[in-house]
Amino acid sequence: MSDNDTPETETDGGTGIVPPDDETPTWSERKERSQGLSRLTYEYFERARREDQDLRQESSYVERDVLGFPAWPHEMIRNLALSSFFIGMVLFLSATLPPEMLPPADASSTPSVILPDWYLYWSFGLLKLGPLNPELALLGGQKLMADRTYGVLANLVVVGVITIVPFLNKGSARRPVEQPFWAAVGVFGVVFAFTIAALSVKNLVPIGSHLLFDLTFLLPFVFGFITYAVLKSMREGYMFTLNRRYYRLRPPK
Amino acid sequence: MADEFAKGFGILTAAGLGWMVLAGWYTTDSFEEGQLLGTPPSDPGIYGQVALMLKDALFWFAILGALTFWVIIPLINETRDALDERGS
Repeated sequence: MSDNDTPETETDGGTGIVPPDDETPTWSERKERSQGLSRLTYEYFERARREDQDLRQESSYVERDVLGFPAWPHEMIRNLALSSFFIGMVLFLSATLPPEMLPPADASSTPSVILPDWYLYWSFGLLKLGPLNPELALLGGQKLMADRTYGVLANLVVVGVITIVPFLNKGSARRPVEQPFWAAVGVFGVVFAFTIAALSVKNLVPIGSHLLFDLTFLLPFVFGFITYAVLKSMREGYMFTLNRRYYRLRPPK
Repeated sequence: MADEFAKGFGILTAAGLGWMVLAGWYTTDSFEEGQLLGTPPSDPGIYGQVALMLKDALFWFAILGALTFWVIIPLINETRDALDERGS
């Protein structure tokens, strides 16, 4: 690559990954990773780096800056391990617990319980919001629309809210503790998804129908408030630890 | 920390899988309702007895093993760290 009289350029194996100076671990720091998972990862990456370096020095190819590991064997062995695991799982389960052969569907008889698939329970529950449909005094106690139309509109509203979620808050927070309010909104949504799903199967839920209806809308708020309170109270300690770690890494001059 | 979680999770899933298979063989009357939790057979035979005992053992191993690695061992470590900090 280079003549003997010119000094060789020092590279870290040519990966192109150059950590900033104050984050580069020293050799003693690297040797401290002497046990468990950190030792394993350390050995793996060191060996991979070494193999990479040897290959580069042996090969006659022009040195390129490549960001990553070669597909063979590094990536391929991991992929094979994962695929073998899942294929083995499928074979094991189909051998030990074969699914029951049910009698064929009978089109002439209606089943006693009619429900959509479980992942659509929330939508089915939104069709049961009849008690929330207001009776307007202006219309002489009439409802503006039928309960079924109201349920369909509720579906549209919920789907619309979910659609605008990605545009709501594009902050740089990576952890819930950094933005307690939005974390609470998220918990509200998740809990509401479960309670509205429970409402849709209210015949199968062993609590009173009215209580279940109230809980459907109360529980999300309760859990949202709890989340907000907990995260808000955690934030000070979190910021303290973060700052301490930051200033330990980069001491103020 | 992550090591402890992986160990507990491995125990939970592996023992749970074994429990699920044995429960599917011996204590499942129907897959429509009450599957895996049905009544065990009255006269299971010697293999059945061994399997039923293994099923219960795996069930408790899954729960207690996961709890050990997720709660008890971290608790011991935290306590030791706290005691060390107080002592020094």
